[in-house]
Amino acid sequence: MTQASEWKPKLLGFLCRWCSYAGADLAGTSRKKYPANIRVIKVPCSGRVDSLFIIKALRMGFDGVLVSGCHPGDCHYLTGNYRARRRIAITKKFLEYLGVEPQRLQASWVSASEGGKFAEVVAEVTEDLKEVGPNQLFSERKLDGTKTKTGS
Amino acid sequence: MEQKLRQEAKALLEQNKVDWIIGFEPGSLKFTTTPLITRDKSDAEHLVINPFIFNNLADFLTGIKGRVGIVAKGCDSRSIVGLIQDNKVVREDVVILAVPCPGLIDLAKIERLAGKDRDELDDITRDGDKIIVTVDGQKKEFTTTQTLFDHCLACELPTPQEYDILLGEPRPPAPELEVSGQNIAELKETLPAKRWEFWQNEFSRCIRCYACRNACPACFCQRCFVEETEPQWVMPMPRWQDNLIFQVIRNIHVAGRCTDCGECERVCPVNIPLRSLTREMYGIVDELFSFKSGMDKEALPLMAHYEQEEAEDLFR
Repeated sequence: MTQASEWKPKLLGFLCRWCSYAGADLAGTSRKKYPANIRVIKVPCSGRVDSLFIIKALRMGFDGVLVSGCHPGDCHYLTGNYRARRRIAITKKFLEYLGVEPQRLQASWVSASEGGKFAEVVAEVTEDLKEVGPNQLFSERKLDGTKTKTGS
Repeated sequence: MEQKLRQEAKALLEQNKVDWIIGFEPGSLKFTTTPLITRDKSDAEHLVINPFIFNNLADFLTGIKGRVGIVAKGCDSRSIVGLIQDNKVVREDVVILAVPCPGLIDLAKIERLAGKDRDELDDITRDGDKIIVTVDGQKKEFTTTQTLFDHCLACELPTPQEYDILLGEPRPPAPELEVSGQNIAELKETLPAKRWEFWQNEFSRCIRCYACRNACPACFCQRCFVEETEPQWVMPMPRWQDNLIFQVIRNIHVAGRCTDCGECERVCPVNIPLRSLTREMYGIVDELFSFKSGMDKEALPLMAHYEQEEAEDLFR
């Protein structure tokens, strides 16, 4: 009973088509085990990830967002991940200031050969999210002060 | 200063050096001014400079075609430099009439101090570092710390750095960061959940009039993301969730352009402390990338540039 009804975090991953997506692929083909909590969206480059995507994901009820791209210097488009780095850095800091738990937005550099690292990252992020619990940031408050879960 | 401005503005129009003059003229209510945008040289006589020239006139630059002579306080000049960085304005097409600004008087603070509505006050004058308010024939003295806008207390550039004509003696910056950053410091001490609740409450009041966006010189998108329908990022009706998302994304969009001029907070009809957001973003950008908006017209825009090594501690 406790096992079956245990809450599982929902994690949305934006993976760069050239590195992290291939890294995730490698994790699969090399039979690495990692939590099945991640839903993946393939993006052309981590630089494609708009801050809006991140906030919209939280608004829609995802418990966390993981943005992953090529290591700095390895971007297929040369500078995409550098730009992503600035954007994600300010988004993360700003959300933290507003009161969003820092664990909810995470970012990593995973290359196409790092299947093992991808599995580790997903496992760590999932653990972090289990710690902070369900995302109720955008839920409506009921009059008695408790919250109801709502999606968009 | 005012006389010099009028002469210069008139001369600029007469000599056909500019097509437009953007400045301030007296408003219809007491202690107000209103932006004056004119091509008529006789209008130059109406131009004023006083402690109530609130608007950030750089906002009008992107909407005007032709060469413009613009009255600029320190913060306005930074916004203009920001627009130059973003290639929205060509430096040669603007004549910056620089006003060394001693800070603007926040009427809301005066009302609180004097215990009277602004219509009931007889006069507000400034004498050095003292603000003298006349109520019912009686004079009350206040300090600048008590009466200036919070963003003016944090001002790093009272005299424009980038200008063509300087209208007065340059003023050295004397920021009182502690007073002006008090709100943020207090907020940061609370727990994350409390902070979120605070913003939730604040943004429940938002009516999505978009005054903040329209008054902001850094918000110059042709089509704002809130008006997009495919995909519809935020719902148009004012629910706190969407209001908050709008403001968060707006702040992220203007990061590196926002000069903490405080216009968004001043124009907000429901008094949401928006400056507590913009000021924090200003601080984040400075802390992470040592970038100060609108200081150097040759600098690349924040988000169009990068360093090899930065912010790595935020990534796995």
